[in-house]
Amino acid sequence: MSQINYRTINIDVLDPESSVNFPMESLLPATLPAPGTSSDAAGVASEVRQLLRSGDAEGALRHALDTAPLAGDDRAKEVHLATVIEVLQGIRQGEMLRVLEGVCGGSGGSERADCLMKYLYKGMAAPAQGNGAQSPRRGISPQSTGFSQIQPRNVGEGGSGQQMSVLLNWHEKLVEVAGTGSIVRVMTDRRTV
Amino acid sequence: MASPEVHHLFHNPIADHSFSPEKATLAVARDSNVELYQKTGSKFSLTDELKGHEKTVTGVDIAPNSGRIVTCSQDRNAYVWERTATGWKPTLVLLRINRAATFVRWSPSEQKFAVGSGARVIAVCYFEEENDWWISKHLKKPIRSTITTLAWHPNSVLLAAGSTDSHARVLSSYIKGVDTRPEPSAWGERLPFNTICGEFLNDSAGWIQGVSFSPSGNALAFTGHDSSVTVVYPSAPDQPPLAMLNITTRLLPFNSLIWNGENEIIAAGHDCEPYRLRGDESGWQLTGTIENKTGSGAGTIREESALNMFRQMDLKGQTQADTQLKTIHQNTINTVRVYEETNGVVRQFSTSGVDGRVVVWTL
Repeated sequence: MSQINYRTINIDVLDPESSVNFPMESLLPATLPAPGTSSDAAGVASEVRQLLRSGDAEGALRHALDTAPLAGDDRAKEVHLATVIEVLQGIRQGEMLRVLEGVCGGSGGSERADCLMKYLYKGMAAPAQGNGAQSPRRGISPQSTGFSQIQPRNVGEGGSGQQMSVLLNWHEKLVEVAGTGSIVRVMTDRRTV
Repeated sequence: MASPEVHHLFHNPIADHSFSPEKATLAVARDSNVELYQKTGSKFSLTDELKGHEKTVTGVDIAPNSGRIVTCSQDRNAYVWERTATGWKPTLVLLRINRAATFVRWSPSEQKFAVGSGARVIAVCYFEEENDWWISKHLKKPIRSTITTLAWHPNSVLLAAGSTDSHARVLSSYIKGVDTRPEPSAWGERLPFNTICGEFLNDSAGWIQGVSFSPSGNALAFTGHDSSVTVVYPSAPDQPPLAMLNITTRLLPFNSLIWNGENEIIAAGHDCEPYRLRGDESGWQLTGTIENKTGSGAGTIREESALNMFRQMDLKGQTQADTQLKTIHQNTINTVRVYEETNGVVRQFSTSGVDGRVVVWTL
């Protein structure tokens, strides 16, 4: 007990003025929707799938982006990410621009564009998803040593590489529609998806 | 529209610039000095240097009536420079901050100036006759991070501040004996020092880089690192604002903005050219760029020799080296300032940026 190594104490944590104690929740706007759970997200997923089956790709994407669990827990966010990626994969390349212009137009269009951009970056950052977007694997937690092993880039073989190319295609089209401002807002916005 | 006046001063970034009221003197912050340029004909030539700061100068402002220059720097100091028979004489201002000073502006009354800092305080400084020095009082309470930008309300009491905690705030800097009691407005009625008259956060929460009050002082605009401009119309003291309008753009972020009348905003930043926004309480939109780029590259296209062309093709696989931007500024614009106005309507404004240019634009 008396053998505390004072050199290893992180003094920044003890200083209320320190930047490591910055209240991140102060960056969330008051307009944040109520927190959703994973079962809510699953409910939305089935609604979206219904729309997709009925051939209304634009409506499916619009509904998925409008119901993004911005205040939800990690599990809800993962389920919803899978839903959005499923919709994106279900739209043919020739249709992309038409769907995007529909979704990103009208009232609330720019919010939907920003939201879609967040999903594209999250999708590209997510670890390889093996077979199908239905069951996203848990994010690999850092090693207890504090070092993380370098993961192979997920542009390789199989489903994950295909998913990456779909996302990159969407990214290209979305930048055409919503501009670089949308990318900048993905970085600043604390309402993560 | 007259073509803009371009002054390429040097190949260093300009952190801030300020013109004297008769426009004969231009002060620019370059590295750890402030350089004074005098206008001779249509050109500006270097005449004086204000040396004293030890680190990068972050702000410079010339008081229009008294002619005093205030500068602040990352060395945590501010100086007030006065012209004497033997040259410019600096007076050190005790800011009592332990981080860099980031931004400085005189109040419209010229009795005070405000310095933003990384120490999460705004130092409001005023001159005390008895002791013959500048005193600073700190605005501290709700600020959670570095102050990046400041703007004064026309009544010289209210101060708008933008911060890296993504909030734009309106605070009272009322100092007894220096200020006259301000008229009650939508921002507040009684305004003792450090009254918080408004605290605004937009949805996408970027660092705030530019704030500005409208000419009447009854609206506030701020822009940040989320590529958006937000305009706030206050309703009454301690009430939520009448309207808070967020205009997201498809551009790179803006760094600075000014109002032109009550229904127009001019903003510039990382896209290297100024843009115009128009609107009122019911809505705002980006109407487009101010720069007229029809003359391709503004006369910078040189006759390329055949040798040069084939060398380019050989080296880079391209026929033309197009490292030149189409805009007048060749890099990020840091500061937009009003150059000439009558009753809040701007006729000319000036911009300066990382490319070492100061440009005067005519609307």
